[in-house]
Amino acid sequence: MNGYEEFHSGLEAPKGVWWKPAHKSEKIWFGIAFAWCMVLFAMMPLWHWKGGQNPSGIRSKVDPAAFTARVNEFTATYKVGEDRGMPIVEPPPGSDVYLLGRMWSWTPVLKLKQGVEYTLHISSADVNHGFSLYPVNVNFQIVPGYDYALRVTPSEAGDFRVICNEFCGVGHHLMLGRVIVTDREGREVNRRDPMPGVPQ
Amino acid sequence: MTIEPDGGEAGEAVPLGQRFFDNWPLLMVLGVVIMLVVFTGWGLWEIASMPTATLP
Amino acid sequence: MSHTIPRPAAPPAEAPVLERWKSRICPSTGFRIDRHADGLIKANAVVATVMLLIGGISAILILLTRWQAVHLLSPVWFYRILTVHGMTMLIFFILFFEMAVLYFAAGPLLNSRIVAPKTAWSAFGLMVLGAALTELMMWTGKADVLMTSYIPLRADPMYYLGIIMFAVGALIVVGIFFGTITVARREKTFTGSLPLVVYGAATAAIIAFITLLHGAATYIPAYLWSLGLIRYDPQVYRMLWWALGHSSQQINVAAMVALWYLLGALTVGSVVLNEKISRSAFVLYILFISLASAHHLLVDPGFGPAWKVVNTSYFMYMAVLASMLHGFTVPAGIELGQRLRGINQGLFGWVKRAPWGDPGFSSLALSVIVFGFVGGITGVTLGTEQINILAHNTLRIPGHFHATVVSGTAMAFMGITYYVIPLIFRKKVAFYRLAQWQPYLFGIGMLIFSIFMTFAGGFGVPRRHYDTTFSNAPFDLQFSPAVDMVTAVMAIGGLIAAVGGGIYILVTVWSVFFGESLEGVDVTTLRTGVPQGLIRPPRKLVPADTAAIQERGWLGITPGTMVLVLIFLAAFALYYFTNWKQLAAVWKIG
Repeated sequence: MNGYEEFHSGLEAPKGVWWKPAHKSEKIWFGIAFAWCMVLFAMMPLWHWKGGQNPSGIRSKVDPAAFTARVNEFTATYKVGEDRGMPIVEPPPGSDVYLLGRMWSWTPVLKLKQGVEYTLHISSADVNHGFSLYPVNVNFQIVPGYDYALRVTPSEAGDFRVICNEFCGVGHHLMLGRVIVTDREGREVNRRDPMPGVPQ
Repeated sequence: MTIEPDGGEAGEAVPLGQRFFDNWPLLMVLGVVIMLVVFTGWGLWEIASMPTATLP
Repeated sequence: MSHTIPRPAAPPAEAPVLERWKSRICPSTGFRIDRHADGLIKANAVVATVMLLIGGISAILILLTRWQAVHLLSPVWFYRILTVHGMTMLIFFILFFEMAVLYFAAGPLLNSRIVAPKTAWSAFGLMVLGAALTELMMWTGKADVLMTSYIPLRADPMYYLGIIMFAVGALIVVGIFFGTITVARREKTFTGSLPLVVYGAATAAIIAFITLLHGAATYIPAYLWSLGLIRYDPQVYRMLWWALGHSSQQINVAAMVALWYLLGALTVGSVVLNEKISRSAFVLYILFISLASAHHLLVDPGFGPAWKVVNTSYFMYMAVLASMLHGFTVPAGIELGQRLRGINQGLFGWVKRAPWGDPGFSSLALSVIVFGFVGGITGVTLGTEQINILAHNTLRIPGHFHATVVSGTAMAFMGITYYVIPLIFRKKVAFYRLAQWQPYLFGIGMLIFSIFMTFAGGFGVPRRHYDTTFSNAPFDLQFSPAVDMVTAVMAIGGLIAAVGGGIYILVTVWSVFFGESLEGVDVTTLRTGVPQGLIRPPRKLVPADTAAIQERGWLGITPGTMVLVLIFLAAFALYYFTNWKQLAAVWKIG
């Protein structure tokens, strides 16, 4: 008799009192696992406080028609050129910037400046879209009727793409937008970072 | 509905924890309530209480 | 006191209530199997296999399209088949199989009759009709909205109606499950607490109830909306849909863990170290796991950070704690079961001398390992509020859930099938040699598939996307050449898994319809054709020797498991913090 007489399988209905202290190894693992869970939990508030990447943004409701009208006004005000029929818009550094997703385009082409914080308003005129900035690889869900305003600071100059990564109908894979980031002197650079750090 | 504790032989006091674990209707109610309050209810409130955009 | 598992006592002959229903006593396990339980398990398992076939064929078609070198389908058919694949696998296949698990847990495992058999059969009929209607809508192009059907994308109203019918049927089965365990207790077909395996099934059933409640809240308004009767906010839809779509995968987790305990007991005579610990883990699932539906809403505009943090963390990671407990107790139960039966050499003798040729055991082992190391670690990491910015809607998401729901849940389902064929269908497992290979092909193929899919997602390759060369898009976009290699390896892994899946379907269908009957056969006299766990039942063959059990310091009585879980924790921490490091490198955003 060494105290291990009561083992049974998971098929057997335990009788009497089974509410008994765990074995030592189970207690140890429970302690480790619990501590790890607290680390996991603490990381998120910590990143809100100290980290630079959070999905909070400024979130509000918006009438899709009103948002579309605002995008058109924004485009007309700051248009600096065209790329394949799509207006290129260069807003003043640090201003509110607008991007509209609709079946199946992102408009307009944005021209931003490296190292400046913009407030980027994104919304949809029709169905759900996915904002996926390539090759930075940051991703946000764009829901019609909601203005998702993100404070964003481009940390590198270059020529970027906006992939739609939420299914939005049969032309979904044709939906590709463009963001140009000029360097600190306002020059366009032709460098396209081939890959961000290789992720898992 | 009264819940009979599952385990426990005659005369043996069944610990509260065991009686709680054996009480699946209570667990079900708690599971539903936690989900409806923390996820669904709070989530609906988050959406409903959102301001309208000013589009500066 | 005996340490082998006693056959459950046959119900007393004088209990008249037991005579009202026809049943048989299983010669291998001693369980009493009600005629309706028998039929309902078979019917649900057969439909689940049909669904697996449909879902599997669609999987191959999708794979051969995403593999850019092949690019098989047209865009319309790609999205259509993708809709079919998601719905058929994640909802129909999985839930039909889970209905069989619920009937198995409440019926045979408790020696009980199934209450309200007519209602049970009607529920089955309703589920089949609902699934068929939904399939019809998808295949005829009336629901090209993908599985999530985010409004305002609109499908034919009949599509939503089919899902509602299916869900109502499933809800009735959950009711019958709880009715049956209540009646079993009243009729004293078992005494004491519910067996742990049944407790796990009850956990799955409770989560199913929470899920189906939200399913009703999602689809009934969606049906009315599709008829033009009401307005429906897209963000509210997304929230409610994910309370269905993600929680339904938590039903799988609970059912899978229950099957881990069951397969462990059947294949190597594994034991329960401590009922309190294992049950605590299930209770934590019931209370908190559904909150993780927020994993899909972390970069949505609808919710603030407090809601996101509390929900995505399953209320301070209580459900992760639960999974980590199961991740310990399941292998520890196997280890201790082996040690009790004399396989007591060193740290890992119990691993080396495990029955790796028993497809039930190899499925169990692969399911635990891949679910834990790949599915679990990626799931918690991707479900971290800020890290999700790097992963949302990229291929990392399907990479994660193919490791959980396919390599974990479906793998466990396949493993138990090799026992269900002889025990419930009373047939030999056909092509037994192939069946022995099947878990390895499927498990390793799926492992390659999900790891490389995750890699591709790390490059920003989107999920649910027809053409990642963007050949007809207004701008050019060229992914790194590495992406071509990665997706090619992913496709090869997927094809290996598809071969494994094909063998599974061949073996099960052949066994059930053309297999050699086991009626009147004593399986313990067989050499092959049924899993080893039935030929030489470990829990009956070798008397447990508790004298062999020794505490090894802080490693405890299951030192091998302790080492394994510490390796797991190290891998977890490494992956988790690597992701934070990557996140810190991208643009400031918030």
